[in-house]
Amino acid sequence: MIVFTGVEKRYGDYRALIEINAAVGRGEVVIVCGPSGSGKSTLIRTVNRLEEIESGTITVDGVDTHSSELDINRIRSGIGFVFQQFNLFPHLNALQNVALGLLKVKRMHRGEAQERAQALLSRVGLGHKAGAFPGELSGGQQQRVAIARALAQNPPVMLFDEPTSALDPEMVGEVLAVMRELAAEGMTMMCVTHEMGFAR
Amino acid sequence: MLDILHDYWLLLLIGQYPNGPLGGLAMTLILAVAGILLAFPCGIAIALATTSPYAALRTLANGLVYLVRGLPLLMFIFWAYFAIPALLGENAPGVLTMLIALVIYESVYLAEVVRAGIEALPGGQTEAARSLGLTNMQTKRLIILPQALYNMLPSLLSQFISTIKETSLGYVISVNELTFAASQVNSILLTQPFQVYLLLAIIYFLLCFLLTAAVRWLEKRVEQGRRERKVKS
Repeated sequence: MIVFTGVEKRYGDYRALIEINAAVGRGEVVIVCGPSGSGKSTLIRTVNRLEEIESGTITVDGVDTHSSELDINRIRSGIGFVFQQFNLFPHLNALQNVALGLLKVKRMHRGEAQERAQALLSRVGLGHKAGAFPGELSGGQQQRVAIARALAQNPPVMLFDEPTSALDPEMVGEVLAVMRELAAEGMTMMCVTHEMGFAR
Repeated sequence: MLDILHDYWLLLLIGQYPNGPLGGLAMTLILAVAGILLAFPCGIAIALATTSPYAALRTLANGLVYLVRGLPLLMFIFWAYFAIPALLGENAPGVLTMLIALVIYESVYLAEVVRAGIEALPGGQTEAARSLGLTNMQTKRLIILPQALYNMLPSLLSQFISTIKETSLGYVISVNELTFAASQVNSILLTQPFQVYLLLAIIYFLLCFLLTAAVRWLEKRVEQGRRERKVKS
């Protein structure tokens, strides 16, 4: 599903990623772990081209995500990405955060998009928080909204960049539960994490 | 001084209107409001260009910003005053000339305010928007600008206050605004320049003082709004 072939990434003279060859199969959950500064986040960010690469190829579902001929926005809409810092849009409420991609990228009708966004919020256990702004939600709740937002456009692949590292310990569980459920449903997932319990 | 105000308040307020052109404080406010409103979209466009991913566009916009910021407003007034008749082949009214000079000048300063607002946002906002598949322009329009402009409201209003004071430079090309009206009063009275120009100073000061107080209030509101919205971790 995700295939890295000879991927190399440099920051000036520093080689962050050297000759990465790896594959994530369909329905597989791959955990990336290692010491800080080893390039885990860089690696996962190259998949949807938040980071450019110097050489090699990365394909998602057979599509080269670093090809300059393809529409990167279309490719990105098919890859869910969850950030360490959640990065919810603070001026939009939970429902609007989740519905944004459906409205503006998928061009779905408002009613339909809101219905789907509401369903996704319920799925992550936050159906009752649809009208809440990010600032009114706890870290764990924000991250669950962020997962719902990433799931909205029905991506076949989900990427998680240290999804629980910025959370208070008591909120880690609720986020991991949502991720476990996703994995059980057969979602292809790549996850950078320090949460060894979850990794196992 | 009170007797000057008593005798000439109408001239200072609206110029010779309705028997002559509108002027005085009314024209000062019209110039400042129209100048800021017209400069605002230009400022946003320049700010988007200076923060654009395209290097050529950035260079062009930055060049414009440096050029305009490196010249006094009076230069633009002179340039507009002599260039517009040369380009149009006929004389333009002073108000229009002044407005054009103000819009060019203020666009660049507003652009710097908007750019600061854009750059102050965490990079994760853009990354999250792009990760959903939003285009660069959609990201700016739906995610970045709404937050940046809200956060910069106090600075935008401050720029408006500066603009009010800058309209007084229109005096040099005989634009009928507040300073011009005061100088008219002075030429009628002949013997009381200190009183007339003190009165003028008081009018500008009161206007700007009230607006500055409004900026302070707005700053507190925006700060509060940001705290409430701020993403807790």
